[in-house]
Amino acid sequence: MAEFDSPKEFRQVMDRVFTLMSEDAEMGPALRDADVPQRFEFSDLDAVVNVRAGGEGEDNLVWEWTDDVAWEPKVRMTMSSETANRYFQGKENVVVAIARRRIKTGGDVKAALALIPITKPVYAQYREVLAVEYPHLLA
Amino acid sequence: MTELSLSEAARRAGVSPATLRRWVAEGVVPLQDGRWTAPAAAHARLVARLRRRGHSLAALKAASASGRLAFGYMEDLFPGGAGELSLQDAADATGLEPALVERIWSLVGFPSHALERMSPDDLQLLRDCAAVLAAGFPLVAFLQLVRVYGQALAQVADAEVRLFHLYVHEPLIREGVPGLEMAEEMEGLARELLPLATPILERIHRRYLRHFLEQDVIGHMEADLDASDLDLGRLRVAIAFADLAGYTRLTEEEGEELAIGIVESFVEAVEVTLPDDARVIKTIGDEVMIVGSDPRALTDWAVGFQTLMTERPRPRIGIHSGETIYRDGDYYGREVNLAARVAARSAGGEVLVTRPVVEGAGPYLEFDLIGEVRLKGFSRPTELFVARVAPD
Repeated sequence: MAEFDSPKEFRQVMDRVFTLMSEDAEMGPALRDADVPQRFEFSDLDAVVNVRAGGEGEDNLVWEWTDDVAWEPKVRMTMSSETANRYFQGKENVVVAIARRRIKTGGDVKAALALIPITKPVYAQYREVLAVEYPHLLA
Repeated sequence: MTELSLSEAARRAGVSPATLRRWVAEGVVPLQDGRWTAPAAAHARLVARLRRRGHSLAALKAASASGRLAFGYMEDLFPGGAGELSLQDAADATGLEPALVERIWSLVGFPSHALERMSPDDLQLLRDCAAVLAAGFPLVAFLQLVRVYGQALAQVADAEVRLFHLYVHEPLIREGVPGLEMAEEMEGLARELLPLATPILERIHRRYLRHFLEQDVIGHMEADLDASDLDLGRLRVAIAFADLAGYTRLTEEEGEELAIGIVESFVEAVEVTLPDDARVIKTIGDEVMIVGSDPRALTDWAVGFQTLMTERPRPRIGIHSGETIYRDGDYYGREVNLAARVAARSAGGEVLVTRPVVEGAGPYLEFDLIGEVRLKGFSRPTELFVARVAPD
């Protein structure tokens, strides 16, 4: 089982994932256009990140590691850091994980489904980052 | 554009120069500045073909004026449709028995009369087929593959032509673009697009091959470990059928366009969320047939999928697992029929499953027995269960 060394490492890695998606020439604009604010809660680390599409003059994605944000999430997902790590490597099927209670959902989850094909390219990019910088996290 | 002589245009159209002159005089074939060009000759060839099929000159004149015959020139992009080679010539050149050539020809879906007018391209196709068999690929499997190639590529070609017609030709007709100008514009676009189609198909094919090698080999390996009792050509799989409850009524109430949009979203949602070992085998209207090598993953997926699809029309899903006959890229047999019947008994938002699915399920789901149900076409009643997420 691949585990993060610390909450700090987890946050560093997730920041990297969101940056990859935001800066990617295809994923970034597509996620901005989809405009689905999401709240991710990582239950084992007591951490929350809120992500939204960037506005005028902002990057494609904007995220804050707090619930104290000025926008309402449309989709809520709760999962462990391990599930998040597996998901971004393309090793965790969201729908199966919901049935297996590894991901708990709330809000307009159907809207999140539309993001799945958009974010698929991040799987390979994330695995490349892990292979070079965080090999202990490869699933 | 290069000017053609009248006799050359007549040769290309397959009629006499006098006939061509008459068609021009009657406005059936348009000429630019009185000159014969390749598009005009192609137009005349199409007119000649339609005349042989009994269409009147008046009808053809009207079709010509509206630009409906401008497709003719594009046929020039595909030269050499028919050739001079006979079935026996092809058999001699490839070493295949004439009966086998006929069988391959028919499985691909080509018309039998073309067997006596094969082109060099056709001969190369048969040579490639012979090479596959000579390499040791079993004939029974190869013939199935040939049928799958034929069906899949016929659908591709049909879609290419229809979509070009709907989204390129029809708009030009509506804009009132003159026939010859339209023919040239379409030919130019098609000439640019055509060389791109084969590499696109090739890359998609290669990517799918890689996907199925990565995913299905694992699934098949695992399934095959306990499949030593299965006959050749049979696979033990999980089969799901899913459709939208109340779809027919929705179509009646809301109209076809909206209903089609809902079906497209539904099928796309299925495709993007399926577990790696499962895939959509076919869709018929709003119904989707899915096959996976792991019944547990497929059932978990179905229950998870239902929790996401909360808006009407809600999907109804039936799952069964068992031994199927794999043929021509599809799955057949009693167990497939049973899975379809199970789905037909489910209600919107429900996942109905059979006992083999319950027995193979993981720890995350619960199953409520709803009883023994007599399913249409099956003499014995079948135990059916509703699957749902187990409480925490």
